[in-house]
Amino acid sequence: MPDVPQNGGYMVAAYIVTAVILLGYAVSLYRRTNKP
Amino acid sequence: MSLAQTGRRITLLGLVLLAGVYVRALAFTPLERFQGPAQKIFYLHVPAAWSAMLAMGLVGLCSILYLIVKDARFDRFAAASAEVGTTFSLVMLTTGPIWAKPIWGTWWTWDARLTLTLFLFFLFIGYLLLRGAVVEPGLRARYSAVLGICGLVLLPFIHLSVYLFRTLHPQPIVLKPSAPSLPGSMLVTLLVSFAVFTLLYVGFVTQRYALGLLREAQGKEHA
Repeated sequence: MPDVPQNGGYMVAAYIVTAVILLGYAVSLYRRTNKP
Repeated sequence: MSLAQTGRRITLLGLVLLAGVYVRALAFTPLERFQGPAQKIFYLHVPAAWSAMLAMGLVGLCSILYLIVKDARFDRFAAASAEVGTTFSLVMLTTGPIWAKPIWGTWWTWDARLTLTLFLFFLFIGYLLLRGAVVEPGLRARYSAVLGICGLVLLPFIHLSVYLFRTLHPQPIVLKPSAPSLPGSMLVTLLVSFAVFTLLYVGFVTQRYALGLLREAQGKEHA
């Protein structure tokens, strides 16, 4: 059986980037719909 | 409850469930032995691509309906869906190269699938720029509807590109005529992620639609 590749850093980066983009957009919408 | 508040609640629920997807994907879904941990990017990349294509599909359908019945609600929904679709395209276009680097040895290659998805992103951007550039509401809605329909036409080419061209990108493993070729636990994680990304799409687009209404009421709708 082949060794499992050690590339967890890429996985962590992708998960962080996704969270940042989606949370950032959620905050942007919240702020824009809340403007007086 | 206002539309914006409904959208916020759906978005909040979607974000909480997204955290659940993270936990399930990272801690309770087995590693793929050939690709290693990087394969788990799959549980975000594919649902993001699905949401981006769903967004463009609805932009296109609403554009057609707008041109037929001239109801401003279709134009408003198309505008909302385009902005949300841009966000999901961005997730797709960032997670894709991060996954590609350890597996293909390169961040990017100009093959058919990747080039067409980049084109989809540019279509979203172009759609939003066009809406920002035309002041007269009727003209803006008509011009952007034409671009929205172009986006709808692009979608089948993106899906079929892996069959029509030689490409590094893998073929579909779920949205294909035969049964999904994925072990059960991985398939469950993927399907849960699909559901959560779709819920996030609904939450985002509801808020963005409410924002469009608000801007129109204030007489400054340009996007």
